[in-house]
Amino acid sequence: MLGKGVKRKLEQEEEDGVMKMEASHTCYWFQRQTVLNLSLLKLHTRPGHGEPDLARRVLITNTLRHIQDELRGEECVSRPQTPSSPVIKDSFSTALAEIEALCPTVGITALFSTSDQDVPDITSGTDSDNLGELRDPDPDLSEMHSIVDSSISLSDSAPFTSSHAPSSLADFSLDDFLFTEIDNFLFDSTPCSSSLSVSMVTDDLVKTLAGYGNGGTSQSALPSNQTFKLDLNELDHIMEVLVGS
Amino acid sequence: MDGDGDGQSRWCLSQVKGAVDDDVAEADIISAVEFNHSGELLATGDRGGRIVIFQQEQESKNLPQCHAEYNVYSTFQSHEPEFDYLKSLEIEEKINKIRWLPQKNAAHFLLSTNDKTIKLWKISERDKRPEGYNLKEEDGRYRHPSSLTTLRVPVFQPMDLMVEASPRRVYANAHTYHINSISVNSDNETYLSADDLRVNLWHLDFTDRSFNIVDIKPANMEELTEVITASEFHPLQCNTFVYGSSKGSVRLCDMRASALCDQHSKLFEEPEDPSTRSFFSEIISSISDVKFSHSGRYMMTRDYLTLKIWDLHMESRPVEIYQVHGYLRSKLCSLYENDCIFDKFECCWGGDDSEVMTGSYNNFFRMFDRDAQRDATLEASWESGSPGLPLKTWRVCAGSRRKRNEIGVDCLDFSRKILYTSWHPQDNIVALATVNNLYIFQEKLN
Repeated sequence: MLGKGVKRKLEQEEEDGVMKMEASHTCYWFQRQTVLNLSLLKLHTRPGHGEPDLARRVLITNTLRHIQDELRGEECVSRPQTPSSPVIKDSFSTALAEIEALCPTVGITALFSTSDQDVPDITSGTDSDNLGELRDPDPDLSEMHSIVDSSISLSDSAPFTSSHAPSSLADFSLDDFLFTEIDNFLFDSTPCSSSLSVSMVTDDLVKTLAGYGNGGTSQSALPSNQTFKLDLNELDHIMEVLVGS
Repeated sequence: MDGDGDGQSRWCLSQVKGAVDDDVAEADIISAVEFNHSGELLATGDRGGRIVIFQQEQESKNLPQCHAEYNVYSTFQSHEPEFDYLKSLEIEEKINKIRWLPQKNAAHFLLSTNDKTIKLWKISERDKRPEGYNLKEEDGRYRHPSSLTTLRVPVFQPMDLMVEASPRRVYANAHTYHINSISVNSDNETYLSADDLRVNLWHLDFTDRSFNIVDIKPANMEELTEVITASEFHPLQCNTFVYGSSKGSVRLCDMRASALCDQHSKLFEEPEDPSTRSFFSEIISSISDVKFSHSGRYMMTRDYLTLKIWDLHMESRPVEIYQVHGYLRSKLCSLYENDCIFDKFECCWGGDDSEVMTGSYNNFFRMFDRDAQRDATLEASWESGSPGLPLKTWRVCAGSRRKRNEIGVDCLDFSRKILYTSWHPQDNIVALATVNNLYIFQEKLN
């Protein structure tokens, strides 16, 4: 299985020079897009019961960063005035759409587990600081900051963090797409996770709730904000049943 | 450089160990292979945390024409699965590395490690037992004192050979990240263990302390861009060790320079060729294994596509580069998609350093003769021919196959990979692991 690589075509070699250049440029763009999608997918896939492989994540992140630098360079060169060029927006919108379709998992775990540090504070106070940091001149560090500060990597079963909710797509910078919680862009969810003891919610429970919220149909799609609109009492009841208290 | 001209190699299959089934249990997948210092013992570790030690058949050892025959000597459970309650994560019992200690007495010692804990195992033989106790019956019950009328001294009587493995030391709680390497020092008293971000130095006798000698963890984990991937002590100089990184560089450190060897003494790094730059350049440059030659003069590194031999006196570039499976260079995107690009292949030196070998996909392994500047692609399979017959060499071609010993690159099976290999320290006997089988090959001497 060779993936999405472009097949060698005899016709391509017979075209004149100009068209060949355009074709190879499209190929390059296409491959970059593919690698971007794959990298995002790999980073956001739940690793399983064991600890995620740090070396692998570092390599994927570096690959992603390299592509991001390239895209940012193109953005600066092509249109310095507009907030974002359509090409880049397309790249990331496409990537996001694909991630949404492919990724049933919820939320983003930290890129690097802060395993030998104390548990970071997951309150909305911390995240409002991140909001400011995201406008930092150095987006690379700030986006990592926002991930690590809202780190919930201690447990796979803590998928939700408080969100910041930008008002419109135009307000986003390139890095917001890349590194902040993807599902919070797609769903205008209320920052309610800190008020619920969501850290106790297991995968099964989330799916159950999603199914509950969607009228019993089991879906593996990202849970919508309907999940959050469940009555607190109902959640307590379910937890009691599970824990057996 | 792609294969011998005549299609036959000097190597032949000696033995295959393990089940023949297609359905392989996860626990049976071999994850470590290592000869001891005399070559008499061959240890394998698997994902289930078990270690199986094979011993060379004594008669065949003295007859070079015979096959190198290894039979099971000892089997024991080295590591158990654990659960880290603080992080709610499982700790795999998979054996990552096995390293033997040089033999000092009748017993054999080896170090085995999983992701977090290293253990020192003593393997000893018992072939005699005392019989004829004065105060005890044969079954162990004590005799009544009043029935004792004579005095006799117990004597050792032969018994069936029993091989016992007992854990002598457990070196735990020193690694936050996953251990990828252990290496015994030439002083035979210390050893190092390396995880993604740190290298620790241990004394074999002490389990409650270890010294951190390399620490590349940044103050902010967000700034992390490079991890340690492999580490080894110099075979002769007890103050020297190397560690390889995910960015393709190897650092040589001298422990006499400072307690914390964050400043390297030498940095071995080949400048990147801009013409081959791709999205995957960094990933394929990541060092998966580093091994010193027996002489201590050279060092070999394995990255995804190549084997590089370095002269320790020259940091700027390797002295030899061997393409393991260059035909994969155009398939990197697919290999990234199916995660094969992250496979970590080991490599090993022949006893006299004139040859090196490493594994590949499709159960192929690659032999490189440094002196003759020839290489061969061989296959580890049940159909490798009957034991004693020389293996045929293979060639991987870009398109469809034209000759008998050819295979198209699109037909390669990427699920069958040879990651773990070991070479007998003196003789030309190699052991390698496919998914759950151990293959032993011997050079055919005419």
